[in-house]
Formats: sequence, C-alpha cells, structure tokens
Amino acid sequence: MIIRRISHFLCNYENIMPLFAGACMFLFMAGILLLPIQYSDSQLYPKTIDRNSTLDPYDRGGPPFTQVTIADQYPDNSPTAGLVTSFLTPFSLWLSQVTHHMGTTIVAHPGGIIDEILYNTRGLDTVVEATILFVAFAIASYIFRKV
Amino acid sequence: MWGHYNYGIFIVMIAAVIAFLALARERDDLHKLLLIDLIEILSLGIIALLGTDLAEALILPGLTVGIAELLALSQIYCTKEGIRSNPIMGLDIEVIKKADAPMILSIFLVVYGMILSGFTGGAVAGLGLVVLFISRSYREDLNLLEMASGISWALWIFAFFIFMFLPGFWFVALMGAAIGILLKVTVKMSLVGTMWGEQHG
Amino acid sequence: MADFIGGLPYYILEFGDELVYFTPYTITLFLLALAFTLLAIISRPERQMDIAFGGDAYRTKDISISEMRFRRFMAIACGLASMGAMVTGDIFNFTLFTAMVGITNVGIVAAVKSPHVQDAAYQYGLVALSATVPLFAGAAVYAAATGSLSMIELMKGTLPAVPLVAKAMLVTGVVGEGMAPFYAAKAEMFRAPGAPYVIMCSLSSLLIFLRVVEVVMLG
Repeated sequence: MIIRRISHFLCNYENIMPLFAGACMFLFMAGILLLPIQYSDSQLYPKTIDRNSTLDPYDRGGPPFTQVTIADQYPDNSPTAGLVTSFLTPFSLWLSQVTHHMGTTIVAHPGGIIDEILYNTRGLDTVVEATILFVAFAIASYIFRKV
Repeated sequence: MWGHYNYGIFIVMIAAVIAFLALARERDDLHKLLLIDLIEILSLGIIALLGTDLAEALILPGLTVGIAELLALSQIYCTKEGIRSNPIMGLDIEVIKKADAPMILSIFLVVYGMILSGFTGGAVAGLGLVVLFISRSYREDLNLLEMASGISWALWIFAFFIFMFLPGFWFVALMGAAIGILLKVTVKMSLVGTMWGEQHG
Repeated sequence: MADFIGGLPYYILEFGDELVYFTPYTITLFLLALAFTLLAIISRPERQMDIAFGGDAYRTKDISISEMRFRRFMAIACGLASMGAMVTGDIFNFTLFTAMVGITNVGIVAAVKSPHVQDAAYQYGLVALSATVPLFAGAAVYAAATGSLSMIELMKGTLPAVPLVAKAMLVTGVVGEGMAPFYAAKAEMFRAPGAPYVIMCSLSSLLIFLRVVEVVMLG
C-alpha cells in the first residue's frame, strides 16, 4: 500500500526537514519559471531620496512638529500620521544642522518614517513581533533553568 | 517587462534553490540550524526588493522573528545534546569574570541614552539607571531578563493602544515605544553578559 | 462593494493600516479558537500511566507544577495567536501570527523532559523556522505585485492580480508552520504527557490552514 509507505516514511521525524526543504526547493524553482512578476507602480510609503538634505537617506520632509504627508493605506485611521515622521530629538536636530548624514541614525532615535510605520500605522505588526520575541525568550529561559 | 525587480527576484530565487538543496541534503542537526540561519537572509532579500520605506519597516519584524526562533531552538539543541557548560574562551577582563557584565553594559546604555538626546534622553537614561540598580542583585538566573523583556513588551502594547485610540497623545506613545526598544536592547546585551559570566562563576 | 469570500463583515476594527474584520467565516474560526483557549485555561492536565505488559505493575508519570504552568502559558499564547490569525485583515500581519503559532507549538512540546520528545520538538522547530522564509517572501511578493497588503483592498478587485507563486509561497509557509500534512510525525510529540495542551498544537495548525485557504482566494 502506497499510503502506508508514505505514512511510514513520515513517521520518522528525521525525514521531515529534508522533505520540507525539498518542497521549498521545488517551490522556488517553479517561482523562477513563473517570472516575471509585474511590479506595481502604486506602492505604499514610496522611498524618496534627496541627496542635498543633511538627513540624506531618511529625509523627514519638514521641521519637527509639522505634519508631513505620507502615503499610508488608510489616512482616515491615523489622523496624526506624519508627526512622528518629522520628529527629531533636540540633539539629533543639532547634529543634522552641524553635520551631513549624522543626524539620521534610524533605529536608536525616536522619530522618522520607519518609526512611523512600525509604531503607528502598522503598529499591530510590531506588537506581534515583540510577543514572538517574548515567547521565544520564555521558552529559552524555561529550558535553561530546567536543566 | 523584466525590470530591476525581476532581475533581483531571479537572483534571490536561484540562491534559495541552492540553499534549500543544501538543507535537504544536510544530516547533522547543528549544521541544519546554521544553514537555516543563512536561508533566513533570503526572505529578507525578497522583502528588501520591494524598495520602499515599507520594505525597511517589514524587514525588522522579519529579522526579529528569525532571531527569536533561533534563540529558542539553540537552547533546545543544547538540552537535547546534553550540553550543560560549554567552555569557550571569554574576554580576560576582571569585571566580566565577576559576572558584572550586565552592570557595565547598563552603564554604557545610560551614557548612550544621555548622549542620544536632550529631554527625551532623560527618560531613556533614567530607565537605564533602573536596569543598573536591578542588575546589582543579579545572580545567574534569567528571571530578571525575563522580567525586563516582559516590561518592554507591556510598554510596547501600551504605546500601541495610545497610537490607535488616543492619536492626539502620539508623543507619549513614541516615547513609550522608544523606551521599549531600549529595554529590549538592554535585555539582549545583558544576555551576552550572562553567557560570558557563566563559565567563571 | 467588495466581493467578500467569507460573507459580509459584521464589524471592522481599525488599527491604522491594518484592519481586523469579522465575517461569518472568520468569526466561526475565531470562536473555535477562543473556546479551546478557555478549555486550556480551565482544564486539569491528564496524568499518563505506564503499564508493564504481562504483569500488574503500573506507575503514574509525574508532571511538575512548573512544567504544567509553562505549558499552559504556551497553550494560551498559542490560542491568542490563532485567534489573531483568524481575524486579521493584513497579509503580513497574518504571516507574523502564523509564525507565532509555530513557535508556541514548539514551546508546548519542548517543555517536556523526555529526550525523545525533545528530539522531535527540535526537528519540528527547524521546519517552523525555515517555513518563515516562504511566508515572508510570499507576503513581500503580494506587496510588490499589488502595491497593498490589506485584504480588504485585495477583495475589491481593483488591484492587479496576485501572482500564483505568491499564493503558493504563503500556503507552503503555513504548511510548514502548522505541519498540517505531517500528522504521522506529530504522533511522536503526542506521546508527551499533558492532554489539553498538545491538542492546542493540532487545533491551531488546522485553524491557520483553514484561514489561509480564504486568504489565497482573495486576490
């Protein structure tokens, strides 16, 4: 019986990983054959680069505490979207006036378009992400303490 | 028809085929884990090919999920193989020998928090001080780190609800989330501290 | 009006760009996940017996309180993750919830001390970790081809069609996280004591599989 043999093969958990990896391999092969993918021109949050700005790769589009327009999916749901984008802490404001590029370290400083997306408009993603990290940490520390 | 996007996708997909082929043929458990860590990069590559600000914001959750699962899995691997103390050559510095590395790193974070920004940095640095005081009574268990991870999680949820339901107070929410990320970074760094401290203690 | 696969939504909850919507289909799955989470909270774990064949000897396996608590925590987290995956209206958010279902499943099983169970949990964890690759890649191709991640927008039919490969990636990822076709291998993990919690593994993978069927039919 073919079903019994398949079931017997799957019964050994050592075989699952190679099987899944093989399936993924064929999936990506099929993906190559199904190219090209039509890239949509109307993207959310498009990237604009202003080389002359002192905040070069992450120019905020305006001084702090002004609401800049950003291309989010549902503008009605986030009435204050754009305020976080333009926000700069006093120190980084000073840094951006004195130096070129230095004022825009994106992850450490509060403010900027990435923070706007991560905290505000797509905040639920970040909540789930933090929860996953929390769960993984709980697993690791429980197993660590157990032994 | 074949824009830059498709050339990029083509290359990433070829890399994915090669990587998954290697994974399918690998038999050693540890090597499988290492290979999967490499394969994770390919998913980040496909996200990055979007080329918008959204892509950059999606990479961060993707990266974190991969790292989180890797953390849990490597701990399971250690238990499964019965590895209890793994002698590695640590840094030969006296403070780390005394398992005080979390404290040193906290001081570093406090200083960094103060340099980072003016009045907002006050909150950040103050929080770093709290971490410093808690870690003084820290004795080789992960309870404290778990608690800090829990606090950062709660802060983030709190900030999220302010953003969603009281958008007028966006500034409070931004600061809450910023402190949340600082705590998360602190937790990860003090974890490095425990790993070093373990062998000498 | 948009063409809703699972019926018209009763209620749409708005979280910025990410909408959470309750159609008859998603609300059914949501209530199912909720009911099983409540069961996991209130029920007492089973106590397994080892019986020696050919004799009268038997003994009860001990489960420590801390292990039981931890597994109950993981089961509740798994229930919450499946509830989130049932009602979310955003492709990337769905993939994140699915990844969370995967890791909580690993957690439920990995808390057991038996080396055999740990070995199975490790192999399953490897699959769950590698399944995040097609999951996130699928979501990214969705965004690139249609310019949107919102399921409500995809239903409206005004956006470009979703490429087949993106749908295939999403389904493969969910299969890897939930291990739907690998029930035979899951039997190895069910040997772990603690009945209500291992059921959560099966139920959550079934639910995310039912949900992804709706998701791929949208675009």
